[in-house]
Amino acid sequence: MTVARRWTPGRILMWLVLLGSAVASVFPFYWMLNGTTLNPNDVLRGILAPGGDFLSNWKLATTTYNLPLFFTNSLVIALGTVVFGVVINSMAAFGFEKYRSRARDRVFGILLLTLILPQIAVVIPMFKMFSFFKLLNTRLAIALPSVMSVFIIFFLRQNFKLFPTEIMEAARVDGASELAIFVRIVAPSMRASFASAAIYMFIAQWNAYLWPLITILNDAIKTLPIAMASVMQAYTIQYGALMVIVCVSTLPVLILFLTMQKQFVAGLLGSVK
Amino acid sequence: MALRGAYERYLNRFGWWCVAPSVLFFSIFYAYPILSSLYYVTRRWKGATNTFIGLGNFIRMARDNVFLEAVGHNFIFMIIQVPIMVFLALLLAVLLNQGIKSFRGGLRLAIFLPSVTSLVVVSVLFRVLLQTNGFLNNVMLGGHFIASPIGWLSDAFWAKVTIILALTWRWTGYNMVFFLVGLQSLDPQIFEAAEVDGASKVRQFFTITVPLLVPIILFSAVTSTSGTMQLIEEPNILTFQGGPSNATMTAALYIYRQAFFINFDFGYATSMSYVVVIISGILAAIQLRLLGGERATR
Amino acid sequence: MKRGLFIALALVLFLALVPGVFAQKVTVWCWDPNFNVYAMKQAADVYNKTHPNVQIDIVDMAQDIEAKVSAGLQAGGAGLPDIALFQDFRIEQFLHDYPDAFVDLKAAGVDYSKFAAYKVGPMQVGSKIYGIPFDTGSTGLWLRTDYLKAAGLNPDSYAGKNLKWSDVVKFGVTVKAKTGKPLLAWQSDNFDMLRIVVQSTGGQFFKPDGSLNLRSDAFKKSISLFKDLNDKGLLYSVVGWSDWINAINSDQSAGFLNAIWMVGTVKSRPQNAGKYMIIPTPLIEGVSGAANASNNGGSSWYVFSSSSNKAAAVDFLKSVWATSTPDTLAFYNTILKGAGAMGTFLPSQSGSNYTARDEFFYKSQPVFKDFATWMAKVPVLKYTPNYVPMRTAVANAVQNYFQGKLSSVDDTIAAAEAEYKQVMGE
Repeated sequence: MTVARRWTPGRILMWLVLLGSAVASVFPFYWMLNGTTLNPNDVLRGILAPGGDFLSNWKLATTTYNLPLFFTNSLVIALGTVVFGVVINSMAAFGFEKYRSRARDRVFGILLLTLILPQIAVVIPMFKMFSFFKLLNTRLAIALPSVMSVFIIFFLRQNFKLFPTEIMEAARVDGASELAIFVRIVAPSMRASFASAAIYMFIAQWNAYLWPLITILNDAIKTLPIAMASVMQAYTIQYGALMVIVCVSTLPVLILFLTMQKQFVAGLLGSVK
Repeated sequence: MALRGAYERYLNRFGWWCVAPSVLFFSIFYAYPILSSLYYVTRRWKGATNTFIGLGNFIRMARDNVFLEAVGHNFIFMIIQVPIMVFLALLLAVLLNQGIKSFRGGLRLAIFLPSVTSLVVVSVLFRVLLQTNGFLNNVMLGGHFIASPIGWLSDAFWAKVTIILALTWRWTGYNMVFFLVGLQSLDPQIFEAAEVDGASKVRQFFTITVPLLVPIILFSAVTSTSGTMQLIEEPNILTFQGGPSNATMTAALYIYRQAFFINFDFGYATSMSYVVVIISGILAAIQLRLLGGERATR
Repeated sequence: MKRGLFIALALVLFLALVPGVFAQKVTVWCWDPNFNVYAMKQAADVYNKTHPNVQIDIVDMAQDIEAKVSAGLQAGGAGLPDIALFQDFRIEQFLHDYPDAFVDLKAAGVDYSKFAAYKVGPMQVGSKIYGIPFDTGSTGLWLRTDYLKAAGLNPDSYAGKNLKWSDVVKFGVTVKAKTGKPLLAWQSDNFDMLRIVVQSTGGQFFKPDGSLNLRSDAFKKSISLFKDLNDKGLLYSVVGWSDWINAINSDQSAGFLNAIWMVGTVKSRPQNAGKYMIIPTPLIEGVSGAANASNNGGSSWYVFSSSSNKAAAVDFLKSVWATSTPDTLAFYNTILKGAGAMGTFLPSQSGSNYTARDEFFYKSQPVFKDFATWMAKVPVLKYTPNYVPMRTAVANAVQNYFQGKLSSVDDTIAAAEAEYKQVMGE
């Protein structure tokens, strides 16, 4: 790279756009972190410099607002969804991709319809259904509907496409059962894709709002997004404590994403092709 | 398949076993609710009791300005926000991919970061930042961009702008990454050839890049459109339940409020949901036809 | 082995029979930590003196409460508490839509003659009465005497006076001119201030047959009043309840128009000490039946039929809130001073705090005595089950009127009526 680039107006504009976008994207995160150190009035007024109220905000968030409980709820539900989700969706993707048949393709087509189905349309009948079985206000209720995700199946299918069927054929010749082929041969080599799928499902469930909003009836089951929404409805909004909850809600996802960036992007690469 | 007989049937059975759990989940959590809601659609609910009213809910919907305006808002957000965001995402992807050589990873990461936040967090953060005496107004007043504070949350027009801002902030990076991936799969020789032919960067963008990326643009557009039709977090939390004065009310939020706040009328809420589903379906079909058709002709 | 089992069984039976060894839990849903939660806690302490093993769990549900209650009722009682607080204007809709959801407390032996009649009205359906009345929402005009003084006015000349709104507007303009502070903090998406004015005229939002009554003279005059206040810059407009509280407690306005239950919130900010003076709700001129008094809010406690601890819940409410004993009267007295919670249990109104001077207010104004006096003059307002959609429609229309989207009071009323009809599906 030896040619020196001149600073044309075009280049300046380009850098402005890029840097501007980056700053605008990151600023609210700084805001969120800084807000944990300010008292509620200062948070609203927009003070940029850190203040000294972090400990009192933290205390408020963890005692009055039961932050540890909400964090645990969110974690348990998200992990549960991921574990079951990866198993069910990967098997489905495997079945749809490696065992093509007209009937199954049609079934997949029907499943694809859920991608454009607005959530609000299913949420109310599901509410009635879960209340009939007395399963409202349980972690199971929050997690179950999200386990199957056509988006993930689609995504994993693209990745399974790249898996050479010859290896499967060779294993069949050796006398392995199909299940064994999946578990011992295919799955281990798809680890990266499964990891991407897991991350995606985790983040989606961690951030879920509408269904938990309807299902959660008291604090015992509350998840972080619902807790944040509740704090916003309080008589006097404790903005400092709210920022603490916002940070606790966002940072784990952020860290998860940062450490698994490569897998995430690699997975997207596969699905786009 | 070349094989016939018992082995083929075994493979077929295994295939069904693989997809069975997902089909089961689909039936319980998608198919059944949609079908069972047909029961509610013809009834008027009032708390604990319900009465049969035939198509009454749909007639009511046609006269319900709040609902019609809410759907209108969904369309406004869709028509304005989606193109802006897709264009911005595409632009950023191109700039990152072909425009600069340094800091690529850092900038890409920074712009993508908003995508990991929940929409609740977005709403909370923007609501705090956009208070009448809050950060953004203070900055703009200080920089003399505006003479008096803008009512981001209290004025009907600006509240809509606020929603669009929040959505764009949240989703641009996400879509940008899709475009980046797509760009990386393009053959750089095409661009070099165009450069040799004298085409400017801008021309290259519109005549080469965009057409080649149509599949991804389609994906982006379809998912974003579906997202704006389902908008509920932002109007609920950011602009206070569809305010001011229903200026940012969306279909999903109105449905939720009718079911759990205003009248506890599940019948009416479900009827509106059906209409929203139909609208979403039509939109998706149109987009597939428009953008997908181009792909088929090449 | 058999012997061990027998002993264990006997032990369990013994423990079960000994009264109250197993702690019972009663869950209460309410809102406002400085007011309702506080009052309930005091009540729980009183009850625990005689019933130490009943654990009363108070949950602050904030503005979530109605959505969660309705979700729980829709689900047949899942997740609901034993007791919940309902605002008086809301309960009629719940009683109407979920007739079997609440426990008939009259049948449980509560003596309703001991409560203010206007509170019992909304909770009665036929011969059944469902709630325990709690606080009054007697209103007043709260003024910051420091801003009055800074504008060159003498607060003492207004103290206790039955003013007309035209008088108030006059000195409001002076305050704005000299100090820059708008007179009243106004929550633009909330209809309560308008309601206060309408109720003070004796006006009703609904006709006896349940249809809308927005074309009344009282209502039109009330909207015009606020438009006038808005045009003169006397309203500090915010969106959202919490931001309204924030505006008041961060000195954005020179006062506000609201009820006695704001005492707790005002007292929660030490800098407010000595500054606030409360005068009677101003009068709208030219409407017969108008008074210098009004009501905003006020809630009552209800027990859910789905509660698993009905007996304990009912007993708790009955014995602390609806029975006169030295302890319960002391309780009502305490919550009055501590939170400004003025109960509507008539025997409690002889408590010492009801007439005492309160040093927190300007010149130690005996605020509770004043509110109690005004409470006696409040014109009764009928809510009906459709109150909530009506108030949303009106609030939206008025907001649009102030922002210039509607050009006259008549248009505003028409817009409110239209939205109400559409939301209700009429």
